[in-house]
Amino acid sequence: MRVLDLGWLTAGAATSTLLLDLGAEVVKVEGPGAPDPFRNWENADPEREWWNESPWFNFTNRGKRSLCLDLKDPRGQAVMQRLLARADILVENYRRGVLAEFGLDPALLRRRFPRLIIASISSQGETGPERDMVSFGSTLEATGGLAALTGPPEGPPIITGRDVNYPDQVVCLFATAAIIAALMERDRSGEGAHIDLSQRELTSFLLGEELIAAAEGHPSPRHGYGPNGETIRDGMAYWPGGSAPVRDGESLARAPEFQAGTAVLRAPDGTPVKGIPFRLQSRPLSVRGPCRPLGADNRSVLREAGLTEEEIAALEEAGVVATRPRRGPPR
Amino acid sequence: MRPLAGRRILDLSAQAAQSPHGLAAAMAGRLAAAFGAEVYRPDGPRAPKGALGRFLDAGKRIGPAPAAVDAAMGDSGALAGVSAPVILRFSVFGPGQDPPMSEFGLLALSGLLDIVGEAEGSPWPLAGHQPAYAAGLAGLAALLAALRAGGEERIEVSLFDVTCWLNWKVAAAMLVLGRIPRRGGARADWFTLPAADGHIALVYQEKDWPALREMLGLSDPRFDTRAGRLALRREFEAAIRPWFAARTREEITREAQARRIPIGPVRHPAELLSDPQYLARGFLGPGGMPALPFLVDGVRPHG
Repeated sequence: MRVLDLGWLTAGAATSTLLLDLGAEVVKVEGPGAPDPFRNWENADPEREWWNESPWFNFTNRGKRSLCLDLKDPRGQAVMQRLLARADILVENYRRGVLAEFGLDPALLRRRFPRLIIASISSQGETGPERDMVSFGSTLEATGGLAALTGPPEGPPIITGRDVNYPDQVVCLFATAAIIAALMERDRSGEGAHIDLSQRELTSFLLGEELIAAAEGHPSPRHGYGPNGETIRDGMAYWPGGSAPVRDGESLARAPEFQAGTAVLRAPDGTPVKGIPFRLQSRPLSVRGPCRPLGADNRSVLREAGLTEEEIAALEEAGVVATRPRRGPPR
Repeated sequence: MRPLAGRRILDLSAQAAQSPHGLAAAMAGRLAAAFGAEVYRPDGPRAPKGALGRFLDAGKRIGPAPAAVDAAMGDSGALAGVSAPVILRFSVFGPGQDPPMSEFGLLALSGLLDIVGEAEGSPWPLAGHQPAYAAGLAGLAALLAALRAGGEERIEVSLFDVTCWLNWKVAAAMLVLGRIPRRGGARADWFTLPAADGHIALVYQEKDWPALREMLGLSDPRFDTRAGRLALRREFEAAIRPWFAARTREEITREAQARRIPIGPVRHPAELLSDPQYLARGFLGPGGMPALPFLVDGVRPHG
């Protein structure tokens, strides 16, 4: 199964990582003028290969092959079409409209590559009056109903913020399932699909009982710690029938069950990387490799797509394929 | 899209010994039914009631299952003696490790409770059943992969692992950077603010700051850098509160979005029932029942 990963940050990129863990070959495609924003990080040193050193990017994108290809250039777009001819899945979470600017309009791709599954993960979906609304994960907690029910009963609603951005995390699990569902459908029908996944809708879906209760005239109030007498006292969380320590990152990292679990795994070089949220008995899952440097697989990927050495060299000469971003890290 | 049409799945969520396991299995079963499977959910002491039951049981057949099923899901106790090619088992920490646990406990143990909230105040749990439902989504993804692969498979989903997986930034910051993220700490410049008719979520990136400053009419140079705004968080908040309090959520959102700033209104689920975006996309059905949260080739899948 071949995946072309145009995913940025978490929502798209970690979805592709889960597909990789389930056996797919994933090629992450980034432009030299527009690499994944996760490559920009607060301690990026412009004197070093800062783009290959981002802990957030490397944590998420371990094991993928890397192609640095300029999709704004018609020559890069032509190469992308050749890659798509061999691909099963395209994952993207660009701002709406960007895909079409690259000659990758989903309707066009569906006609040209009828077996291709295109997974578009966006904040609002491809249609509707708010399709262009700019959102981050925590914006969607607000607009999707989660924030209204999270926080103190008498205080302000609470969003998770930069260190969690909850909708961006949970969407990867659902998007992976939706893509596999589309593959199963293709197994039966031979037809690919364009999956138009709205993160805001998923956020609300995961409050489904609250939507139904509200429609029945019984909207829930904000419950604070919970509706069943849950409370926090002296660093412990209590609920009827149990208690647990309220851990911070340090105590979590020290916890034996965390170290024995699968949430964070190790790349073959020992680096901590994003883990796998399930285990399969017949096929032990493991991290295939560390994160590859930007463009490290340019030549092998292009050769596999049928490009000649001369064609590859010409693309390199023109800067259409590259191994470094065109700009330094944002200050 | 009904990729599981013709598949029979046994949903033992109502037989779960603990609530998180039952809710996780119920969500996986709920979605399997939406994807076309015949999902059989025998009655039991943990059968969801009221609105929760209407949501989680949608599309399922309540009652005994046929003798042969393609997959079965539940906790260790419910699955004991059950035979099916694919088994999806939920646990707290891993196979057979099921101490007394709640979703509140999972959030606490995973760090996902501690990181949510304001620095000076208490941590707050995410509303609803997020740890269990997320485990259900993880289980569903693995279940679909196993059914597609064919043959026998036993899938293990740890509720704790999934909750930690959601909270990866905290774990990664600690393990990779040696930095401990704190609730309301050095990165906490996103928060909610009162508007004239509710609250809005102030969410923005550094590149948005010039547009946000212009929108708010701020001229205090102390707030020109992110470091300055974080160091003077209370003063900053006091300076911007009046602007938001004087406007409705819709007015604020319109002004912010015109400047491409990702600010949005805090909406209660009751308000979402008449949300223009959801209406236009046909997301909510009769009685507030949410559809699958995606379109396929422009069409909402049934289920």
